[in-house]
Amino acid sequence: MSKWRNFWVAMLFLLPAILSVVVLRLWPALLALHQSLLAPRATTYSLDNYTYIFTDPVFLNSVWVTLLYSVIVNPLQIAIALGLAVLMNNKLPTTGFWRSIVLLPVAIPQSVSAVVWAVAFRPDGLLNSLLAVFGIGPQRYITSPDQALGSIILVVSWIGVGYWMTMLIAGLQDIPRSLYEAATIDGATAWQRFWYVTLPQLRRPLTFVLVADTVANFLVFAPVSILTNGGPQGSTDLVMNEVYTSAFINNDPGSASAATIVLVVLVLVIVLIQFRLMSDKAER
Amino acid sequence: MLHLAVIIAVALVFLMPLYWLTISSLRPEDDIFRYLNPFNPWTFIPNRLTFDNIVGLWSGAFARAIFNSLFVSIVTVVAGLAVCAPAAFALAAIEFPGRAVIFTAMIVSFLIPFDAIAVPLFYILRSYQNTYTGLILPGVGNGLTVFLLRQFFLGIPKDLREAAMVDGMGWFQIFWRIYLPLSGPALISAGLIMFIFQWQAYLWPLLIAPSNDMKVAAVALAQFATEYHVSFGLLFGGAMFLSLIPMVILVGFQQYFTSSVAATGGKE
Repeated sequence: MSKWRNFWVAMLFLLPAILSVVVLRLWPALLALHQSLLAPRATTYSLDNYTYIFTDPVFLNSVWVTLLYSVIVNPLQIAIALGLAVLMNNKLPTTGFWRSIVLLPVAIPQSVSAVVWAVAFRPDGLLNSLLAVFGIGPQRYITSPDQALGSIILVVSWIGVGYWMTMLIAGLQDIPRSLYEAATIDGATAWQRFWYVTLPQLRRPLTFVLVADTVANFLVFAPVSILTNGGPQGSTDLVMNEVYTSAFINNDPGSASAATIVLVVLVLVIVLIQFRLMSDKAER
Repeated sequence: MLHLAVIIAVALVFLMPLYWLTISSLRPEDDIFRYLNPFNPWTFIPNRLTFDNIVGLWSGAFARAIFNSLFVSIVTVVAGLAVCAPAAFALAAIEFPGRAVIFTAMIVSFLIPFDAIAVPLFYILRSYQNTYTGLILPGVGNGLTVFLLRQFFLGIPKDLREAAMVDGMGWFQIFWRIYLPLSGPALISAGLIMFIFQWQAYLWPLLIAPSNDMKVAAVALAQFATEYHVSFGLLFGGAMFLSLIPMVILVGFQQYFTSSVAATGGKE
């Protein structure tokens, strides 16, 4: 009987959160699903919007760009974040301050970051003048189909890696010192300690970072919208940018909703795969 | 010492765009691009300083926009914690039928890209256009905050609440007098996540609060650049303020942030 009394008590604690999550997240998601199944001027459900976007070369290109981008940006950011976390996990004086500096870009509105980087990427901008110091000729960055996606990756990594670094430092601080001492007594080198102690012990925080980073990178919008608007030649046209373009530039809510649903499903599938991969190894 | 030198070098690389942003905001507009290329000492050291950009900002609508952003972010943190902390407590401490279902719904809710559902959400909340309520609400229902706090609450020993039960405390007292006081760092870090969410929101405020009085700073700033003339002095001055405020907050709270995530990371 106390099971059900607990249920009502729990509901009292949960009600505001459930209400806001349902109204502010789940209901609009269902609305998007509903709209994605209604073809323009139709009154019955059909998959027309999906057939339409999956035969649209612009949308197919955006899916391809998004996958290519994810395959590069996620491992890159996690490797850098892990390196930074190992570097900055210490009690040296002022380290906390320098960590905050690396973390700072995540708190700045992405529209601001995009504007600053747009100036850095100009032909006469900061990056080219720095390259010239090392005798390297000017690059085209966001105006070149070959370099634009790389430039976006540079910007979003500058924004994001500090955040993931902070999460991983937290994980590093959780590893018992005794494990390292034992490994050292057994004659393990620094590299072996990292490989056999640090990495396995970081499995949980790494899973969290991997999943959250992947989700965040799928949703990147402001830098693309402000720096390249998907161009040149569609080389940075991520699905998120396509969703916005369909909804607000082309006034095509059906296609926009279908693209949204495809994006959400893509995110959910990848997150599920990641959870699987990370938990199969040495489940505690 | 070499170790610290490497740390500082890395941090300075991250800081460089922001440093350049800050000195540019203190330069006369003509100077901002003059020393950029080729590279020379004046690229990074302003030779003429002016506060015209800063003064120009505060006399305009931007001051109002900064106020709007701060107000929205702070209210979101307070309201968001009031909504999410009790929920996280119930999911961590109380055993009840349906717990797994509700927890899964929370997880799914933060896997749904918020910007992707901004348009349907706009139709739901359209009657709140140009109100603080409309700006604040989406930041309050935050599944990630619930998840983070729940992970932290799970680390609080069960014995503690069983002892409290024996002493005759109810669930609300256990939450208020045992769990909350033990969770300062986790609450700060959850608050930071919600603050950042609102501080850098762009698409949602653009839709829900287009009137001049209700614009938030990120939107007002972007509009320095979308008019016929790009006012780089004002743009950089505004960008500097938008970076300075979170910087003060992060430097102040960074240690709590790390230690609380540490506490949530390893336990289940």
